[in-house]
Amino acid sequence: MADPVQFMSHFTTVEYRVPDPSPLNVYFAEQLAKGRIVGHKCPQCGKVYMPPRGYCPLCVVETTAKDEVEVADRGTVTTFSVITPLQYQGQEETDDYVQATILLDGSDTTIMVAHLDGVAIADVHSGLRVKAVWAPESERSGATGSLARQMGLGSAVTSWEATGEPDTPRDHLAEHIV
Amino acid sequence: MRDIAIVAFAQAPADQPAGQTETLMLLPTITRALADVGLTRRDVGFTCSGSADYLTGGTFTFVQMLEAAGAWPPIPESHVEMDGAWALHEAWVRLQHGDVDVALVFSSGRASLGVSLRETLTFQLDPYYLAPLGADYVSLAALQGEAVMARTGRTERDLAEIVAARTGLDVDKLLAEPYVVAPLRTHDIGPPVDGAAAVVLVAGDRARELCERPAWIAGIDHRADPHYPGVRDLSRSRSTTLAGEKAGVGNGGVEVAELHAVCTPEEIVLADALGLGGDVDVNPSGGGIAANPMMVTGLVRIGEALKQIAGGRSRVLGHASSGPCLQQNLVCVLEGRN
Amino acid sequence: MAATWKLEFPYRRSVGPVIGAFLTALRDRRVVGVRAPDGRVLVPPFEYDPETGEALTEIVDVASDGVVERAAWVTEPLRTHPLDRPFAWALVKLDGADTSLLHAFDCGSPERAQSGARVRIRWAPETEGHIKDIACFEPAEG
Repeated sequence: MADPVQFMSHFTTVEYRVPDPSPLNVYFAEQLAKGRIVGHKCPQCGKVYMPPRGYCPLCVVETTAKDEVEVADRGTVTTFSVITPLQYQGQEETDDYVQATILLDGSDTTIMVAHLDGVAIADVHSGLRVKAVWAPESERSGATGSLARQMGLGSAVTSWEATGEPDTPRDHLAEHIV
Repeated sequence: MRDIAIVAFAQAPADQPAGQTETLMLLPTITRALADVGLTRRDVGFTCSGSADYLTGGTFTFVQMLEAAGAWPPIPESHVEMDGAWALHEAWVRLQHGDVDVALVFSSGRASLGVSLRETLTFQLDPYYLAPLGADYVSLAALQGEAVMARTGRTERDLAEIVAARTGLDVDKLLAEPYVVAPLRTHDIGPPVDGAAAVVLVAGDRARELCERPAWIAGIDHRADPHYPGVRDLSRSRSTTLAGEKAGVGNGGVEVAELHAVCTPEEIVLADALGLGGDVDVNPSGGGIAANPMMVTGLVRIGEALKQIAGGRSRVLGHASSGPCLQQNLVCVLEGRN
Repeated sequence: MAATWKLEFPYRRSVGPVIGAFLTALRDRRVVGVRAPDGRVLVPPFEYDPETGEALTEIVDVASDGVVERAAWVTEPLRTHPLDRPFAWALVKLDGADTSLLHAFDCGSPERAQSGARVRIRWAPETEGHIKDIACFEPAEG
């Protein structure tokens, strides 16, 4: 007599559509392709959201094209991690790399750069001034997709370089980070 | 018990731009519901929302939508992975504590994100006996339809007449359409759509200050039947009958009933379970058969009941349902008092 | 055409003694239910009485054939349904049971998807202890 059944396998899948990017996401990507980084400035509190999300979460008001501002393609590394990649199944990274958040000049929100290329790991520190290295115009496509968190600036920017400017003082960062 | 009233209801318009997020559907909807009674987000003491991660395909996806309610400064907040009607029930309970007078309830859902809602909803089923068979909600509703016709003598013509009365379509033309799962034809099943809605609950005298004709919650209750369809009589809904009794439907009857039926036989089962006579106006809004914004359909029924009170009715019921074959049911009785 | 993506759930669920007894019996091409305090035999078995909530433990043998209580004809099966040709969903009360079991009924035509039809289990070629050890129901006279 075989052992009583103790486990049951249940392998199921649910299929989803990749959602259409919102009109604002599409617009943001189009501007990136042209070398422009745009955000929305809240008409009430004045905070600049980049990428623009169509509303200010603090004031809970909608923002539109009339609230558009341009953000510089240079800024400050605020926080970072040096990632030593664990070799799990599916891992593509082998060497250490830096994941960083960058506050671009003119923005109150940061972007996450998943792979900070262009600055030596030992040189990365909070306050470091960096500037974007743009892909050739024909190779730029911005990050789109409403479900995906905006990671960096898509393929429009391929790496970041140190500008050589003095570091941004710590107290300057505190008032911007949202 | 504190007297709680529903004072406002707003629903996101059906035509939204492609790729519209639930947050952006909810933001103006919430603003409108509050503004209808001269309130802003600063006046709200508690929020409760309803949504379903299985519709969005992600975990804790409702957290993103909290920004539509104004997550700063933080106030007591809760969430149910259910239709917004249950978020409303929780808000009603929370207001009983006495420290807060205004609650905001909202819910949203993008059924369009899933390739097949019929497949997605099998995830709510018993994982051992039902889910592996892929028994989808339309198939299960069809079995319930067969059951109610067998016991009560209703026919497919009766089902078609529900649709004909609301759409003006010809009954015989409807009956000539092919089945999806017998006895259900495409028109018998509410089309799943994306949606969002918000409701404002206010306690006691504050409700009277804000609104000319508040819809007082005279009773609200929800009950559940056993899950497995084979252990119960699908032609009846004992949980609806019990919820209706506890909500006090019988204490004066109702003039209008907004029932959360997503297919025609469900409307029959529910009306029977609540003992609604021919004098009761059922689903003047069209109900869930007209459109089924999953996770919002039940909240909309209660919102439509509010509209009836605002329009001059005295006693109206809003009903919400969840689970296969009307497994769980919520009944809310609203009164307009002069 | 929109791009799609799939969420996969590779579950391996523990079954416990009651559901385990049912699945073990299925593996042996037999069916069991559980007896409730009021004498009713529930098939499939549940760990708790749906009426009273009492824990149920008394496993009881039932037959592999029975009667269709309710059926609904599927014109176009979904890819996740048990059969890939039109079939009927059926609630079947197996002989000896007081509740009915949901499964596919391979009756061949909507006219044969009737309450009162006698049916028997068509077992899967290989059984493992799973509800799909029952491939479907088939007409008992046929």
